Amino acid sequence: MIAGQSARDARILAIDDEPANLALVEAVLVREGYSHIETLSDPRRAVERHLAFRPDLVLLDLMMPSIDGYALLDSLGRLTMTGELLPIMVLTADTSIEAKRRALALGARDIVTKPFDVFEFGLRVANLIELRLMFKATRPNFRFD
Amino acid sequence: MDSVTSPVIACWWANRPLATKGLVVVAVPLLIFLGSVAALYAISRMEARAEQDVRLTIAIQNDVNEVHALLAEASSGVRGYLLTSEPRFLEPYKRAETLVPQVTARLRGAIRDDEAATRLARIETLAGQKREGLALLLAARARTGADVVGDPAIAAGLAANKQVLDAVRDEIEAMQARERELLAARQDRLDGVRRNGLIATGLLTLVGLVGSLFAVFLFSSGIVRRVQRLESDAVLLAQGEALEARSAEGDEIGSLAGRMVEASRLLRARERALREGEERFRLVIEGVRDYGIFALDPDGKVVSWNTGAQRIKGWTGEEALGRHFSMFYPGDDAHKRSMRNLADAVRDGRTEDEGWRVRKDGSRFWANVVITALHDETGALRGFSKVTRDITERRRAQEALELARQEAEQASAAKSLFLSRMSHELRTPLNAILGFAQLLELERSHAGQADHASIQQILRAGRHLLALIDEVLDIARIEAGKLGLSIMPTSLETIVTEAVGLSLPEAESRHITIVSEAGKLSPVAVDPRRLLQVLLNLLSNAIKYNHHGGTVTVMAHDVGERVRVEVIDSGIGIEPEQAGQLFQPFTRLAAGAARTEGTGLGLSLSRALVEAMDGEIGYMPRADTQGGACFWFELPLAQTPTSPGPLTPRAVPAAPAGPREATILLVEDNLANAQLIEAVVARHLPQARLISAMQARIGLDLALRHRPDLVLLDLHLPDKDGDWVLAELQASLPEIPVILLTADAIAAQDEWAAHGASAVLTKPIDVPALMVAMNTMLQERTS
Repeated sequence: MIAGQSARDARILAIDDEPANLALVEAVLVREGYSHIETLSDPRRAVERHLAFRPDLVLLDLMMPSIDGYALLDSLGRLTMTGELLPIMVLTADTSIEAKRRALALGARDIVTKPFDVFEFGLRVANLIELRLMFKATRPNFRFD
Repeated sequence: MDSVTSPVIACWWANRPLATKGLVVVAVPLLIFLGSVAALYAISRMEARAEQDVRLTIAIQNDVNEVHALLAEASSGVRGYLLTSEPRFLEPYKRAETLVPQVTARLRGAIRDDEAATRLARIETLAGQKREGLALLLAARARTGADVVGDPAIAAGLAANKQVLDAVRDEIEAMQARERELLAARQDRLDGVRRNGLIATGLLTLVGLVGSLFAVFLFSSGIVRRVQRLESDAVLLAQGEALEARSAEGDEIGSLAGRMVEASRLLRARERALREGEERFRLVIEGVRDYGIFALDPDGKVVSWNTGAQRIKGWTGEEALGRHFSMFYPGDDAHKRSMRNLADAVRDGRTEDEGWRVRKDGSRFWANVVITALHDETGALRGFSKVTRDITERRRAQEALELARQEAEQASAAKSLFLSRMSHELRTPLNAILGFAQLLELERSHAGQADHASIQQILRAGRHLLALIDEVLDIARIEAGKLGLSIMPTSLETIVTEAVGLSLPEAESRHITIVSEAGKLSPVAVDPRRLLQVLLNLLSNAIKYNHHGGTVTVMAHDVGERVRVEVIDSGIGIEPEQAGQLFQPFTRLAAGAARTEGTGLGLSLSRALVEAMDGEIGYMPRADTQGGACFWFELPLAQTPTSPGPLTPRAVPAAPAGPREATILLVEDNLANAQLIEAVVARHLPQARLISAMQARIGLDLALRHRPDLVLLDLHLPDKDGDWVLAELQASLPEIPVILLTADAIAAQDEWAAHGASAVLTKPIDVPALMVAMNTMLQERTS
């Protein structure tokens, strides 16, 4: 792990309108040892929670009834300061290539299609956390608060 | 003239040329005039002669009287002399002596009448006697002297003289009488001649008059009247009337009349032809039903109309003619717009417009209108032609088409949205199901055995459901045209190799052997990922529906413009009556359904995929009698066989010069290695033919059949070891160099060389080393 901050201390914000999936994500993350997990089933509060929680990783479901997932993805991307690397992982049940392209074009760092393999999901989360921590380590002067 | 002369003469006359006729007309009065002059001359001649005769007769009378007078005077003188003896009385005698012969000679020349001549002769004789008598008297006087009275001779002479003189007097009187008779007769004749001359002159004048009239009549009847008729013919001709064909006379006028009749006939024939042409043209124009064709005068008033116009616009010709064509335009500004169209046509020569027009009944139609300005040869505007088409139906069809297109696009968009939603709605719950099942399984140490079995059931059912969803969505995407195939020239061998490699674990778990007999094939135009999906599905079926320890054979070969792939198993096969349902969704044949897994959608998805790639898929019973099934599909060849496969790396350095057209056999079961070597060969030996086999036996068969220039041999093969292949190759084809590929890092080069290997390369393969080895071997072989 990267010195200075443990990966397990990373702050993960999971946004999904389906409580069962949120529960699954949380269960998997807890099992992987993460402790700072915030789940949000109302995507309309995503920006507010994002600002309040200051996550190191955002897990975002794209297909939600109350809001356009792509628009939210775009909004969350804009919350990130210039020069900052804050990974967003998209979780989607849409397997079409168009959905993948669009999400990646809007700034998603990774895409996992549902249903996902819990092992694969854990590994991908770990990768992105590692990326985030490396960024933090190389930019000690960056104001994160 | 016709009434007074026979037709033959009339005909003859009519046929004379005009010059002759003119000659005749001029000559007739001239001849008559000349005749009259000649006659008058003759008459005057006759008159002159008659006058001459009268004058001559009078002269003769005078001469006769003179002779008589001379003789009488001579006689008197002689007597006087005799009586007086005076010589002066002899003067008359002497004069008579000289003059009488002269006068009688003159008379002799003048007298033509026989009786008068006879009398003259007698008078001459008597005159001679008289003069002799006088001479005798004188002689007697001379003898007797002065006294004569008494002299008997003289007396006798005197008496004789007296008698002669009397006789002369008688003769002269008779002659005078005769001459008087003659004079009277001649005078009468002169009168007669004069009278006749007068009559003749009158007659000749009359004849001349008649002749002139006749000539005028001839001229009039023969020429003037016909010229007048010709003129009226010419007037008729000018008016375009037909001329009656008359019997043409032979002269110039006749032939002119004939020509005019001919011209009239010709004119009529041309007129008829022209009229027929116009009529035909008019009929054609009028008969056109699909186009309204009509003409406008320069002001825009309708001057012609056709059936199409009537059909399209509803106005009959009688109703439309003379009216302004703005009545076809709808709206208040119809006149303005119509005139603007005309102005456009005048400016540009023609104008085309599309828009609403109005029929007689007020209904509207969508028209395509072409207005063309018509100019005469002087460039003056003569009017316009207007062609109107009712394209309401076409417009409706276009609108319907556009609507249908929009609907289709909307439907397509809706389908896309539906598929996306479906995918989401079906997968999202599965996420939780499978995820938690997986978590539970991870925690199975805490769970009981029964729970563990249940979790496995959940996972299996969930995965099955996931596969089902994926396949359903794939089929739906294909049907919606949303699959998004990436068609490219693809090496079929590569795909077959990959599919066989991926199917090997499942086959091995059932102890089933997969035999690949895919030789060198032309590239096919497919989406390689989807082709792999199809092939995996067919292989999976062939493994699932096989018996334990059976075989699955994959064969591929070119069939004309397509490549045919067959997947043959050694299972129990399919009942013929069930074969028809094979590609239906959710058809799981009773034979295998009980003990095999599957979605029941694999074959229908495969069919949809193959058909989406312009291919064909089917089933047939296995050709031999061993039972089992044979699934086949055919795919179109790529048009330009360029890329050897989608997996070829693009950035490999340029090909060095090396042997060309060599055949290389690769016996390798590891797909990644096979693809790497394929890529190396394709890039660096582009013209080399690479045959690949994944199993030892097949590799050996291919070597025997194709006699390659080089063999690349993996030592670890699924059916037999590579050293067995090497030994077999050494036995039958010792001249072929063999490069061994082995994962054994400590392979002894010398030991393998003793077994016949030309080189040994260890895995992971070093590409430059492989290239050097292949080039060396092939150059040795070809040199």
